[in-house]
Amino acid sequence: MSKIEEVKVKLEAGKAKLVPGLVQEALDEGNEVKNILQAMVDSMGVVGDKFSSGEIFVPEMLMAAKAMSKGVDVLKPLLVGDTISSLGTCIMGTVEGDLHDIGKNLVAMMFESAGFEMVDLGVDVSAAKFIEAIKENKNVTLVALSGLLTTTMPAMKESVQTIKASGLTGFKVIVGGAPVTAEFAAAIGADGFAPDAGSAAVKAAELVKA
Amino acid sequence: MLTKRQNFMETIKGGNPDRFVKQFEFLDFIYEAPMEIDPEPGTEIKNGWGITWRWPEGQLGAFPVHDDEHKVLKDITEWKKYVKAPSVDFPEERWAAAIEHANSIDRNEQFVAVFVAPGLFEMTHNLMGMEDALMSFYEEPEAMHELIDYLVEWEISYAKQLIEHLHPDALYHHDDWGSQISTFFAPQMFEEFFLPAYKKIYRFYKDNGVKIIIHHSDSYGATLVPYMIELGIDVWQGVMTTNNTPELIKKYGKQISFMGEIDSGTVDFPGWTPELVAEHVEKACKDCGKLYFIPNLTQGMDWGSFPGVYESTDEAIDRMSKEMF
Repeated sequence: MSKIEEVKVKLEAGKAKLVPGLVQEALDEGNEVKNILQAMVDSMGVVGDKFSSGEIFVPEMLMAAKAMSKGVDVLKPLLVGDTISSLGTCIMGTVEGDLHDIGKNLVAMMFESAGFEMVDLGVDVSAAKFIEAIKENKNVTLVALSGLLTTTMPAMKESVQTIKASGLTGFKVIVGGAPVTAEFAAAIGADGFAPDAGSAAVKAAELVKA
Repeated sequence: MLTKRQNFMETIKGGNPDRFVKQFEFLDFIYEAPMEIDPEPGTEIKNGWGITWRWPEGQLGAFPVHDDEHKVLKDITEWKKYVKAPSVDFPEERWAAAIEHANSIDRNEQFVAVFVAPGLFEMTHNLMGMEDALMSFYEEPEAMHELIDYLVEWEISYAKQLIEHLHPDALYHHDDWGSQISTFFAPQMFEEFFLPAYKKIYRFYKDNGVKIIIHHSDSYGATLVPYMIELGIDVWQGVMTTNNTPELIKKYGKQISFMGEIDSGTVDFPGWTPELVAEHVEKACKDCGKLYFIPNLTQGMDWGSFPGVYESTDEAIDRMSKEMF
């Protein structure tokens, strides 16, 4: 098994203590930084798929994301003049009136692992705060809104519509959360929707590459 | 006509109920029993464990605060240093109202019920935050086992007080084990960390006169049902439609009953209507049938989030009882 393959296997298994050493060994063998990084991004895609299919659960996903993060730390100094994120910046938050953050945090980890630079605004985020963050950050390609409560679905609708009507461009809007459906996402004018954290990263990459 | 308690027993034993059990009607909760309190809407408290709970205005409930300033346990390996259980030795006068309430209940009509929350898993993430708690099962399993053992000891010491003072017939115990589409952890992880822990707690209650154990988890949890049976849980309250409840009833009904199937999120919101509630109640009753099933709003407790929803659900269940019994 090649070192890059070993990195992939251990990352998918969530071995956060082993992955940095293996990444270093892969570098020492002469593998290119971008190839190692891509292998790790691919592995997180596998982790996302397994989560979506119910094969693994939140702890396994968190451990894989941690392993990814530790592995990327080894590569970071070698990415001089470049950026790890190739998919642009994602502004993310749970909509106004909603304090749930677990789902949002999981999605943020998966997005970061897929290649987004994340700007996490936290919970209870107003439409105005989303717009302010879009203006303040460079290369915003995605805005992601989360909501867990049926009672905060109107806030999600208002935020999406306010963002869309702001005149700001260059990004797509994705929504998710327990009560959100593809139909609701389409009805409020979002560009995309995903039912869980695993498939959200795939959908997000699709949206910004489209 | 059967009493509420008799009708409940007929339902969960597969006998001859004469109507649907109407949500929590079979229980009379002794809310006066001393326990950790939640903040009032718009306020914040630090409870006996040191956990800060905040209930922002306009929200449906309180949330534990887990920023660096407020998180009780930042490193699971140091839990002994930071986790200090509050005393369960309340002054006798704190029990007076609860005892009076318990004594006033006709136990032929209803069960004298005690309410315990948060549960063991909830306590771990209330102390540490969800991400830290879930990763600690992998990273520091021994420390997690120790912490859970400590929480079990505390729960049993509180159970002793409840039993000694109130002689409850039923326990309603809270611990959310999943989201609406999945459990938070693999069944194997549940088996390792929570099965032995809950066995101790639920066995203690049953060995000390508690006849019925109702466990609340308003979530997906179908894969955990065999463990619930092993734990001696009589009723899983909070079963959501995502579980395929009719199938669960067919497969496990003789061993455990299911209470819920009316997903609170679909009916309990500001724009609710009695017609919408009636539609969901009818579907739940017709899909799940008369035995091993109690129609109920999944969120738990004997009230709704928005005025009138719980009562409207009761009325719709009454109508289904007339139609189906």
